[in-house]
Amino acid sequence: MLILKDIIKNYEVPVLGPIDVEIKSKSFVSIIGASGSGKSTFLRLASGLISQSSGSISYKNNIKPKMGFVFQDSTLLPWRNVIDNVLLPSELTKQNNSESIEKSINWLERVGLKGKENSFPNELSGGQKMRVSIARAMVQGGDLLLLDEPFSALDEVTRRKLEDDLLEIWETNNITVLFVTHSVTQAVYLSQRVIVLSSGPGIILEDLAIEKNLKDDFEETSEFISQVRHLTNILKKEGREL
Amino acid sequence: MSRYLSYIAPLLTFAILLILWEFLVILNKIPLYILPAPSDIISSLMLNYLDLFSSAFITLRITLLAFFIASSLAIFLAILFSQSRIVELSIYPIAVIFQVTPVVAIAPLILIWVGFDNAEYAILILATIVAFFPVLANANLGIKSVNKNLHELFSLYGAGRYQRLTKLQIPFALPFILTGMKTSIGLSLIGTVVAEFVAGSGTSTGLAWRIIEAGNRLDIAKLFAALILLVILGIFLFLLISYIEKLILRKWHDSSII
Repeated sequence: MLILKDIIKNYEVPVLGPIDVEIKSKSFVSIIGASGSGKSTFLRLASGLISQSSGSISYKNNIKPKMGFVFQDSTLLPWRNVIDNVLLPSELTKQNNSESIEKSINWLERVGLKGKENSFPNELSGGQKMRVSIARAMVQGGDLLLLDEPFSALDEVTRRKLEDDLLEIWETNNITVLFVTHSVTQAVYLSQRVIVLSSGPGIILEDLAIEKNLKDDFEETSEFISQVRHLTNILKKEGREL
Repeated sequence: MSRYLSYIAPLLTFAILLILWEFLVILNKIPLYILPAPSDIISSLMLNYLDLFSSAFITLRITLLAFFIASSLAIFLAILFSQSRIVELSIYPIAVIFQVTPVVAIAPLILIWVGFDNAEYAILILATIVAFFPVLANANLGIKSVNKNLHELFSLYGAGRYQRLTKLQIPFALPFILTGMKTSIGLSLIGTVVAEFVAGSGTSTGLAWRIIEAGNRLDIAKLFAALILLVILGIFLFLLISYIEKLILRKWHDSSII
């Protein structure tokens, strides 16, 4: 899906790299690291929103995949109602037609917001806003979903519900997910693979394939606990060395 | 209770002040040409209502026209600034120069250029200059204040300049622009009145001219009556813009949600 080779990103100071990583199609990959480790920069490079200082980014079959981006805040346009917010990508790409309206309505239903089409963002809770944001990211049938700490401002119960909904969206839509988070437990719970970045400039400290026992409640298993502990220790060690 | 109190308290205070004023003037036998009682001012207002209201209409017309020209020009320039940094760097300092130059100081010059026979045009230009800057500064700030993530969202979907401007920057800047307009409408009225004062009689007979005329004749009650009309005009214009602001922002902006 996505290959980042010898990627370095500098602003006034180096912030990321060198990074060598391949993101496989239909995988769920989380990126964790301390503040300033370049997690968000990694995501913006992968999306093409910013360009690298050196190195190369290539896509499967040399075709840039359709992407959806979910930001830390919901980035809804407050002057548009929910359905118009979801329709925004179609409008900007000039594909606004009855089919896109139907798709938008379907996605709103899928994220549990049926009946909220005409509500304005200020009438929604934080969790509902994030659901609209996810619907907007998915409405154009993207292959790659990028999420930048999307649930960090939500309460525990809402966050857990959204995590499960995200997993369901990933599984049923055969998409690739790149997920940036501060939370080790969230990364292990959601992902097939967790990449740990060092403090800036971020380089890959650990690239861990998550072993999941799907028969049991994963979070109760010893595999879950040991993998969380392993990643936490890496981050703690990194913190001490700063 | 507190909602009613917010109306009753200032009205009651105002009424008490008027009664006090009335009694102080009567008790101290203050001459009419120094300080008329509120009842004298009301009498004068009723007696001269044709003169005063036609003058108020002239002032209102120029104020609204100046406000419209100033707002349109300011919004247009702010949009232009958002599209070209060089244009902003070139023009913004000139706008600041106009803002900091007292209108009274340039009024004679404008009058000479426009001609004393066209005093109304001079007043319009001066009022426009006074009303222009708040809208420009606020619109410019609003357009620049768009959240970085929103810009990135638009970039992700390949939005062009026009789409970014019409679907993101202008709607985002609307609350800022309307705030600028609320300041600007008051300044527009002040600018009109100041310009009318400077222009003197000329061909314009707005409220300021009535004030000068009444002052010269020591008709202080009429002077106060003209002043009251000016205040009412100012309040009316402010409420009008506030109402328009509420209509535009009521559904989505925190400032307009009751």
